[in-house]
Amino acid sequence: MTRHCQFFCGLVMLIAVAGCSAGSGEGLNISGRPLSEGANIPLAPTLESIQANVFDPSCIICHSGASAALGLRLDSANSFTNLVGVTSVQNSSLARVEPGSPDQSYLILKLEGRASKGQQMPLGGPPIPQSTIDFVRQWITDGAQPVAGPMPTTAPVVVSITPGPDALIATLPSQIVAAFDQDIDASTVNNMTFVLRASGGDDLFDNGNDVPVVSSLVVLSMINPRLASFDLSGVSPVEDLYRVTLRGAGPSVILGLNGLSLDGEFTGALPSGDGTEGGDFRVEFELRGVQPTLQSIQDNVFTPSCGVSGCHTGPTGPVLPGGMDLSNAAASFASLVGVTSIEQPPELRVAANDADASYLIQKVEGRAAVGAQMPLGGQALDQETIDAIRAWIDQGASP
Amino acid sequence: MIRRWAIVVLWLACIPLARAEPYIAVNQGLKCISCHTSATGGGKRNAYGNVFAQTQLPARTLRAEGKTGFWTGEVFKYLAVGGDLRGGWNRIDVPEEPQTSQTELNSFLGYIEIKAIPNYLTLYIDAKLAPGDVEIREQYVRLSISNGKFYIKGGEFFLPYGLRLQDDSAFIRQVPGINFNTPDTGFELGWEQGHWSAQFAVTRGAAENLQADNGRQYSLLINHVRSRWRVGGSLNFNDTDVGDRQMQNMFAGVKTGRVAWLAEIDYIIDDGSPTGRRKSWATLLEANTALKKGHNLKLGYEHFDPDTEVPEDQQNRYSIVWEYSPIQFLQARAGYRRYSGIPQNATQNREQYFLELHIAF
Repeated sequence: MTRHCQFFCGLVMLIAVAGCSAGSGEGLNISGRPLSEGANIPLAPTLESIQANVFDPSCIICHSGASAALGLRLDSANSFTNLVGVTSVQNSSLARVEPGSPDQSYLILKLEGRASKGQQMPLGGPPIPQSTIDFVRQWITDGAQPVAGPMPTTAPVVVSITPGPDALIATLPSQIVAAFDQDIDASTVNNMTFVLRASGGDDLFDNGNDVPVVSSLVVLSMINPRLASFDLSGVSPVEDLYRVTLRGAGPSVILGLNGLSLDGEFTGALPSGDGTEGGDFRVEFELRGVQPTLQSIQDNVFTPSCGVSGCHTGPTGPVLPGGMDLSNAAASFASLVGVTSIEQPPELRVAANDADASYLIQKVEGRAAVGAQMPLGGQALDQETIDAIRAWIDQGASP
Repeated sequence: MIRRWAIVVLWLACIPLARAEPYIAVNQGLKCISCHTSATGGGKRNAYGNVFAQTQLPARTLRAEGKTGFWTGEVFKYLAVGGDLRGGWNRIDVPEEPQTSQTELNSFLGYIEIKAIPNYLTLYIDAKLAPGDVEIREQYVRLSISNGKFYIKGGEFFLPYGLRLQDDSAFIRQVPGINFNTPDTGFELGWEQGHWSAQFAVTRGAAENLQADNGRQYSLLINHVRSRWRVGGSLNFNDTDVGDRQMQNMFAGVKTGRVAWLAEIDYIIDDGSPTGRRKSWATLLEANTALKKGHNLKLGYEHFDPDTEVPEDQQNRYSIVWEYSPIQFLQARAGYRRYSGIPQNATQNREQYFLELHIAF
């Protein structure tokens, strides 16, 4: 029985080996795609050549399609948009491609095996010869220009946006970044065409209580004219549902360099559009969890855990616990910021801009020399919550 | 204590010889969870897996004089650790290109298992310690109930899908994109009963790009394990902003005398391709022959069709690997792989030679 089974398995393997030969490559380019999708071109320091000789044959086996590793799609339709001027997911201090600076480009570090995280690319394959990488380096040194070609005849569409549609995030990012399939007219990217609104707390829009979020900087990237960003620095993070709108319809719209307005309709899958010029792009994301603002800390920490009956309920006075009033945001501010601790003078309960020197942090982290960890008798705050309190203090502990 | 170990050793001595990786499970007729902390295999070995690796895998087991017992990974009742270190020499010949070879440390992995409530509640961490920065690969909490019949785990982990080969460059690991480089975050439900084993995971599907993702990835793995054979299948569906990706596979293993056979076939439908829907096949056939104790000869054949709509683009890979475990904790591997693809792509026609030293504890 065993011998018969062994013979059968061996036969299957032999038939498979003999019957499934490698392709002849007839009618295909170097990447194994039909020549109609692109002919072979010699190596040169241009994106078109690098796409054909590096990305297509060596990278897109993993970096393409719906499950592209790290969301980094390197097919010809997406490589420029996803590389140039885009912050690396593995190393947020570097751009994947920093025009003019190959040594500051994470792509080069990954190809040369010098990145501190992950493995050398291509994963599992032979390293790209240095002589080939040198062409990539030269392309970056030359400014990492997109593929030169005729002006697109189709309307621009959105190919990606961060935070993603319906994303649930705990921390407001430093910016919202939208990527397009073609170069955009920089003069059409502004606060009128790239709009962010919060729902006002009811998770509903267009019902009269939406809160517009104003950014001091809404621009098209100077190094990648397919990336538009909405800067969020200075924006107070409030837990809410947010809606991002990129205008493709109305008096102010985002235009491609070909003069066509954004084809923005989003029905759950990117790229956007219905094939017809015009239409707003609308997606939403949620910001949930304790934010580094006094109101958020009040709502999520002080009110439910501290300002409860018999504890820090006021009125303000020299006797604890009631004397340290944490029952509402105004009282908390008055009781905490710049106020000397009763338990451990002269330390301040909250020393603005210095979380490490704030007695409040010592108490919630259980490091205080006097008394018990707060909340007394309750579950200790998780580190994410404490980090939000720390961030509020380090950012000035504003009311 | 000595008596307990004597029982374990005697039990192991009754088990037929086996060597390494998923085929070890085929050879033994065991589930992955028999030897590993993870129900889907890989990573830290449990006490049984450690003792097995020290007594049954190597050609000989060295014992310090006067010492009894084996390394089980257990530091004390509530804490167990483990590790894998791989390094060696690798040469790749690409036609008409300069030959490249390098000697390097491939990876040093460390595992920590905190048994908060032994047999019930476990915290597990799998980290790459070198080379480069420390990287957490898996970190999850697992709650087991009904004597381990069911479990739920939440955190970051490798997805249940197909045969979990150590070699991530195998077509069946690289093409689906579910491998040791792509942990995902979510939760997993597991079920172990009799000959059956199943896992179902719901994760973010972003391959580590957490901020950009909004979708969900669903993975289902089912195994039926018998003493001499096994069959299984997997399904995976990833719902993303740029289209959906659906993957399915069937795999099997059978033991015939000294040979353990493995096979897997994957079919992938991806709507996220710039040219529209793309369908791919990836397959594996592998024969592992136990030459004698401590020696395994692995012959592998793989086939990959990147796009069923495009003729003459298929690729093959042939492997021959000799694995030798002279003593416990130590394995040497020598191998040759031949890639065969379209002639205009030299990389698809490369040859690879490698020597590897693997220390596992």
